[in-house]
Amino acid sequence: MRRVASYLMVFVAAAGGCDDRSAPSRRTITDSRDNYDPRSLDPALSTDVPTGRAVAYVFDGLTRFTPDAKVEPGLAERWELLPGAAPAYRFHLRQGVQFHDGTPFTAQHVVSSWERALNPATKGGRAEPLQPILGARDFAAGRAKSIRGLRIVDDSTLTVALEQPLGIFPKLLAMPVASVVLPNLDPARPVGTGPWRFVEWKHDDYLLFAKNDSYWAGAPPADSLRARIIAEPSTAVAEFESGAVDLLLVPANDTKRWEVGGDAVMMSVPALQLVYVGINATRGPLKDARVRRAINLAIDRREIVDRLISGRGRLAAGVIPPTLGGADTARAPYPFDVTTARKLLAEAGFANGIDVELWVGSNPVYVRIAEAIQGYLTAAKIRAKIVQRESAAAREAARNGVADMILKDWYADYPDAENFLYPLLHSANKGVGGNVSFFADAGFDRLMSQARAEPNEGNRNVLYRQADSIAFDQAPMVFLFFYNELYAVQPWLTGFTPPVIFNGQRWLTANLEGGRRKEEGSR
Amino acid sequence: MTGFLARRLLLAVPTLFGVLVVVFLLLYVAPGDPVTAMVGERADAETIARLRHELRLDDPLPVRFGHYAGAVLRGDLGRSYITDRPIAADIRERFPKTLELAAAAMLFASVMGISLGVLSARWPGGWTDRLALGASYLGVSYPVYWVALLLILLFAVQLQWLPASGYGGWKYLVLPALALGMRSVAFLARVTRSAMLEALSADYVRSARAKGAQEWVVVGRHALRNALIPVITVLGIDFGSYLTGSILTETVFSWPGIGRYVVNAIARRDLPAIQGTVLFLSLTFVFVNLLADIAYAKADPRISYR
Repeated sequence: MRRVASYLMVFVAAAGGCDDRSAPSRRTITDSRDNYDPRSLDPALSTDVPTGRAVAYVFDGLTRFTPDAKVEPGLAERWELLPGAAPAYRFHLRQGVQFHDGTPFTAQHVVSSWERALNPATKGGRAEPLQPILGARDFAAGRAKSIRGLRIVDDSTLTVALEQPLGIFPKLLAMPVASVVLPNLDPARPVGTGPWRFVEWKHDDYLLFAKNDSYWAGAPPADSLRARIIAEPSTAVAEFESGAVDLLLVPANDTKRWEVGGDAVMMSVPALQLVYVGINATRGPLKDARVRRAINLAIDRREIVDRLISGRGRLAAGVIPPTLGGADTARAPYPFDVTTARKLLAEAGFANGIDVELWVGSNPVYVRIAEAIQGYLTAAKIRAKIVQRESAAAREAARNGVADMILKDWYADYPDAENFLYPLLHSANKGVGGNVSFFADAGFDRLMSQARAEPNEGNRNVLYRQADSIAFDQAPMVFLFFYNELYAVQPWLTGFTPPVIFNGQRWLTANLEGGRRKEEGSR
Repeated sequence: MTGFLARRLLLAVPTLFGVLVVVFLLLYVAPGDPVTAMVGERADAETIARLRHELRLDDPLPVRFGHYAGAVLRGDLGRSYITDRPIAADIRERFPKTLELAAAAMLFASVMGISLGVLSARWPGGWTDRLALGASYLGVSYPVYWVALLLILLFAVQLQWLPASGYGGWKYLVLPALALGMRSVAFLARVTRSAMLEALSADYVRSARAKGAQEWVVVGRHALRNALIPVITVLGIDFGSYLTGSILTETVFSWPGIGRYVVNAIARRDLPAIQGTVLFLSLTFVFVNLLADIAYAKADPRISYR
């Protein structure tokens, strides 16, 4: 019996070292990141990461993101803001681009794609990136037969008028829902202009793509690409260790082992993901900014990041991720200072402390963080009761304003500070829009309105920074940390750059080096 | 027999209707709004209201139930809220894979389990008996999940004999079938053993031996056949539960079966998908039980149905 047990231990321990791996004979890049089946390959239905990633392989938008989350020309070669009172862009489209079936791409396809995405019959439900277009809302509501703001000048020129000035509009066009499709799109056999042609989709198993030899930006170097759908993170780890997949997102609880090293090339990249505690600034003692600051001061973020997420986070001092324009990287996060926290509480008239509810969803890591926060708050006489619910239910409670505080995260849809500041804290987005803090600050709102209308990126970033500074001071949330993704890459996979935004990496430079041996192919 | 079958099938109708009602109500009272899950983190109130209306979520409960039951009777399980694909097609795609896994696991379990049970009953206290006892304790006590990961670590990562996960030829089938069948091996061995011990001490076994029948005939034909009834019961129940989605096994091995489908549907609050799958699986369960009943009659001629 003891011997059996020791064998088992050997297996478990052996899993730690990833020795003896040689380059695979396969020619298909194999990805292990998707942990559930994409919703659809219809760009109009793209609301989740696996879908958005796959859509970016098959389709193009007028603009696209680079792996480091810069916006660059896509199907539009260039664009300019037209002079005049009404905000409008002129897009110059790439000529000679063909869909995978040979259909030549024209401006008409852009219009029909966007109409399709906005059409309620498509059941998309997430066409927000297109809603700033003049007349888009009327069209979506069935009050107009076409989108008033779109005008086809010729096959390769399109003007887009907006309802209001919106400096980040070109960025929004890199989102999956704004992709250009053929009018008769069949989600089971999608045809786009993207770098990869769709080959097959075995639901809950894998998606297979082949390179588009005539891609306008040059064909990808690898022949084919398989996106495996692996539900269980430990299984993905095993697949990586057996050499069957080329890329792994290291699960948070497995970090330490990977940092020790092995053959795999480790790459850490800041994700555009803020983990925070929304504080409902309209409920009881939480109305007082001093109380909210006290909560921020009472929590030891550094310890939470180090102990509970293996150090894979950067402490947040505001809501703008440090990789995005507008972030004030010099600003220090709230220090861990229980004395000051108690003093602030007393000043606000709560010398005996306060009672609050802290809601959290079902993610076990977040539950542990919530418990840690509860412990810290107790020391500052803030008695937090943890309310754990299924994630959608917790989110709904927060949106309906019945949760004092909620621990949650926020991922960027597009890499711009606006995508954090505006939905999370603008008064127009209270509740269902994403502002679960029910924060309303006239100064903040004014800065954000100005920033949204500002076409110049530099000026916009200044306004973002000011707005973020107000938010930091008013503390409508506990600014916890920005998460870092950790990638493990097989030594034989070259040319891969980990993306900051989910649809920013399309395997345009990646390849498998077939013959490379283990000795040469280390870090 | 035909009359019996007809009656059993008729009886299944109220059962399935009950399932329909319960599934419908359970999801209605469960917290969380399907529309919230559909649109993701952010969407404007207008979109949410429109979707609620489109999905008939604003209709009174009985009206919604009526719509649903009517469609089901026409064989239409509806379309997924999330993927917009027909649920019946989704089930048709996944169920054969679950069936394949369940059959392989059952084959492994019955061969191993019954053999171990028979051997340990024939020589109680012998080394096969003690091995079988030990194995069944392990089989019952260790969670499938853990065993599955160990199998992957050994056969896929260390030895590299078999793929760790996915769906394909027999190579992909071995590990999940072993992991899934292991619990049944344990149960079956124990049930077979006790039934066989009883049978082997029966008068007819003594008579068979007295008339000079060979030992394997005594054990295999006389004793085992009589001991089969409880074994069939266990087989039937286990097979039924495998078919209704071995969620853990399918998840760990990334097996694209019905278990993962239903878990995904639950996670995304995909009401029609959950309802359709549960309804279909209940039907499957009823059907497997019916098969077990028929198997009783085959195994024991004294059992007959009228």
